[in-house]
Amino acid sequence: MMRNAVEALDRLAGGLGTAVLALATVACWVVVGTASLFWIGLPLLPSVISMTRVVADKERVRLGRWGEQALSPYETSIEDLTWQDAVRAARRDPATWRDLRWLCLHATSGLVLGLLGIAFPVMAVRDLSFPLWAGLLPETETTSTVYLPVDSWTGIAGTALIGLVWTLLSLTIGPGMARLQALPGRRLLPPHPSVDLSHRIAQLTATRAGALQAHAAELRRIERSLHDGAQNRLVAVVVLVAAAKRALERDPATAGPVLDRAQEAAETALTELRGVVRGILPPILQDRGLAGSLAALASDCPVPCKVSVGELGALPLSVETTAYFTVAEALTNVAKHSGATHARVALHRRGDTLRVEIEDDGHGGAAERDGSGLAGIRRRVAAHDGVLTLDSPAGGPTRIEVELPCVS
Amino acid sequence: MRVVIAEDDALLREGLALLLGGEGFEVAAAVPDPDAFMKAVAEHHPDVAVVDVRMPPTHTDEGIKAAVEARRLHPELAVLVLSAYVEQAFATELLAGGANGIGYLLKERVGRVGEFMTALERVAAGGTAIDPEVVAQLFTRRDGPLDRLTTRELEVLALMAEGLGNTAIAERLVVTEGAVHKHIRSIFAKLDLSPADRVDRRVAAVLHYLNA
Repeated sequence: MMRNAVEALDRLAGGLGTAVLALATVACWVVVGTASLFWIGLPLLPSVISMTRVVADKERVRLGRWGEQALSPYETSIEDLTWQDAVRAARRDPATWRDLRWLCLHATSGLVLGLLGIAFPVMAVRDLSFPLWAGLLPETETTSTVYLPVDSWTGIAGTALIGLVWTLLSLTIGPGMARLQALPGRRLLPPHPSVDLSHRIAQLTATRAGALQAHAAELRRIERSLHDGAQNRLVAVVVLVAAAKRALERDPATAGPVLDRAQEAAETALTELRGVVRGILPPILQDRGLAGSLAALASDCPVPCKVSVGELGALPLSVETTAYFTVAEALTNVAKHSGATHARVALHRRGDTLRVEIEDDGHGGAAERDGSGLAGIRRRVAAHDGVLTLDSPAGGPTRIEVELPCVS
Repeated sequence: MRVVIAEDDALLREGLALLLGGEGFEVAAAVPDPDAFMKAVAEHHPDVAVVDVRMPPTHTDEGIKAAVEARRLHPELAVLVLSAYVEQAFATELLAGGANGIGYLLKERVGRVGEFMTALERVAAGGTAIDPEVVAQLFTRRDGPLDRLTTRELEVLALMAEGLGNTAIAERLVVTEGAVHKHIRSIFAKLDLSPADRVDRRVAAVLHYLNA
């Protein structure tokens, strides 16, 4: 019972957070909506719609922690559209209207339930402990939460009794309130049952094609580095050893330098093989785990770099590998291009999402070109159904955020 | 004998030059890319060119293209193409203009200096040298008439396809030249090929047959 109550409190507090955001969004809607009556607010509509979607997505993630993960219901992204197109697209999308209904409900009932849910335990503690500190208060201040006159011992005991009532209330109806608070979100935020999943399927098909393409590109890269690298080096060894053998027959004194070259070539082959293997699956990931291998990456980085890794739990190897390569690529860019003096890498897991953040204090202006390492990472991340966000204004700082779903 | 080497890997280029120089070849030029190769051929008129398949800019089949182009401009030039892996399709492309003075070998064959030199000299003299691996690829794609050949005849056919002459085949299989003659007659009869006397025509016929 206690555990349920604590969990309910946690959920109500979280719900209060999104309810406050919802209330702020409603306020924005009111302002922009009023301004739209005089046309001037219209270009701002996409921003408010985006804001609504962000808040709704926060609620989806929050609810996902206690139940089924809500899929994103939106038919199209309205980013990168002109405001007219964005408004048109949003109007057509039933999810927009469902979002709005949820927004109003959550900003009101969700807010009240959240406030009450927190107030009950606070009042319970206050009133229960009242007898302990009642004597310390000046006469005029002594009132209980329900304004009992508490200038006598009976009053003080009564207050403590009321505290007991608050405690019972939060223990018994807390979980119910939490469920009630989540109800509008559970009903309105997932895709409408009548909306078919074709959009989601199209998206999955695209990311799967991307995954296959990333895979093929990766194989091509490995093939290249084996054929043109290590194998060529080994052929050179064979040729040089052959030349040395011939030299031994003719003039043994000339064989030494040729053998030296052969040895060099063999050593280069080994170095290149190590490089290829590291590019496929870094052995250190297996030996030290993700946190250890990221620490190793950071210490190899010429720019001082702080790594903080939260509790990650068990992660699928593919997710670990992608996180590793993301950080490796980002730190390479930090070292090569950013001019930064400090970098920071942070990893933490929220439910079924691994978040990777890499930040530096360099001059920014990082761009993602076709064929750049970052574009490769984006493909890799997309293949996991994840999202990569690059924020690098001219003048800095540069910030890369990657979210990777890690359902194992 | 004058040779031009085209190989983009510096270490290997140097190794090849060292080896061929030691074997009495005159290395006229050793260059890293197709353009430099075409210039070197025009300038030095070598007897034979040793060309890597993968060269800049795309590192795919530049060497094959360069070899075909060089042969078009200088029909008398013998070309030995070296590759990290062999692909029967490349061999076909290379042999499209005839089999004389053409070689296509795996890079590591260079290490067996004796055999490599024989192959290089054969190519320089207008013969053919096809890597056993290419021949093996051609064999796996064919059944039917090949089933009618005896094991020994298949061995002889493979060595013919590699470009070896009767004497070399006899040496390799440790039989008399007369026996090789007999096998070849039997093979041509079984495969319905008209007998060819000259080795290069014979190679072309055999490869064409296997590739058909």
